[in-house]
Amino acid sequence: MEVVDHGTPSLENGQTDKEVEENANVLQFMDSMDAYLTLIHSLSSTLRRGWLELASARHSMGASRVNTVLLDHTSHPAATSLLVTQDEGKVDSGKPHFTLCKWASSSDENSLLGEKQSSQDKLHPQLRHRGSTELCEEKTSSENKASREVDDPVQKERSKSLSMFGTLVSPKLRAAQLSFEAALETLVEIVNMRSEMLCAFDQVNMKLEGRKDEK
Amino acid sequence: MANRVQIPTSNSALIAMIADEDTVVGFLMAGVGNVDLRRKTNYLIVDSKTTVKQIEDTFKEFTTREDIAVVLISQYVANMIRFLVDSYNKPVPAILEIPSKDHPYDPAHDSVLSRVKYLFSAESVASGRR
Repeated sequence: MEVVDHGTPSLENGQTDKEVEENANVLQFMDSMDAYLTLIHSLSSTLRRGWLELASARHSMGASRVNTVLLDHTSHPAATSLLVTQDEGKVDSGKPHFTLCKWASSSDENSLLGEKQSSQDKLHPQLRHRGSTELCEEKTSSENKASREVDDPVQKERSKSLSMFGTLVSPKLRAAQLSFEAALETLVEIVNMRSEMLCAFDQVNMKLEGRKDEK
Repeated sequence: MANRVQIPTSNSALIAMIADEDTVVGFLMAGVGNVDLRRKTNYLIVDSKTTVKQIEDTFKEFTTREDIAVVLISQYVANMIRFLVDSYNKPVPAILEIPSKDHPYDPAHDSVLSRVKYLFSAESVASGRR
């Protein structure tokens, strides 16, 4: 049986560890740039949807009811903010990591719970089981109740944010709000990808500069 | 370069915007709007009456404020103050050029991509091989 030794300093192709690292940096740089451009493309289409829905809302509610004059100019904190941390495991990397905290102004715990809950839902989508329906229904109803309790503060914050345009707003305006929320999520992904790309670029650039100095 | 700068960590940093009316209104509906006690906002709505000086001043203000982590700027607005945007190289606040309603995104103008474009030029590759 063949035993592969991962600790050897050189590889089959005759590449040294240094070259492998350089190639890995270049690949990471190219990957992050590709992901950056793909995400920007996705952002463009999400924003286009948002602008269209906003225009539809303005058409149905009237230009005077969806206007910048109505914006809230009294002192208030942002309901959606960012958590900025150093990148995990690399304290000296100088690579910031951004996390979006949506609707976290009024009840931080509830909304954070809401974020966690929604991420768990995404990870473990509910399965539909045949048979044992009673048990399943009981379980889903209790889960729905719990998710409604979690969603309530978020819904309240969403309505509060739209209240500057009146109490009865067009469903298109609510749809536009959700589109811009989705755009924000993509934006945070783009910002993280941007810092990854710049970090990889710096490493590749440093190697190039080093080579120039050697010669 | 960017990776030698200490990153200021924050629990609730703001997203600032310099963009056209609909983009700003949309993101305000998503909850990013902040007005402090001195009634200073974290956004600037750019229209036909906005001067380049106003945009410059706002950009400088947003990039020096410690409570701001990301500055979103419409690409056509960034083109008006390109010299400022291109010379900015701190990791936080991060500057992000976004498309606007009337001006689609052009990667050729993006300040981040122009910074890394150097690696794709024939000159840099040739000097690496020599």
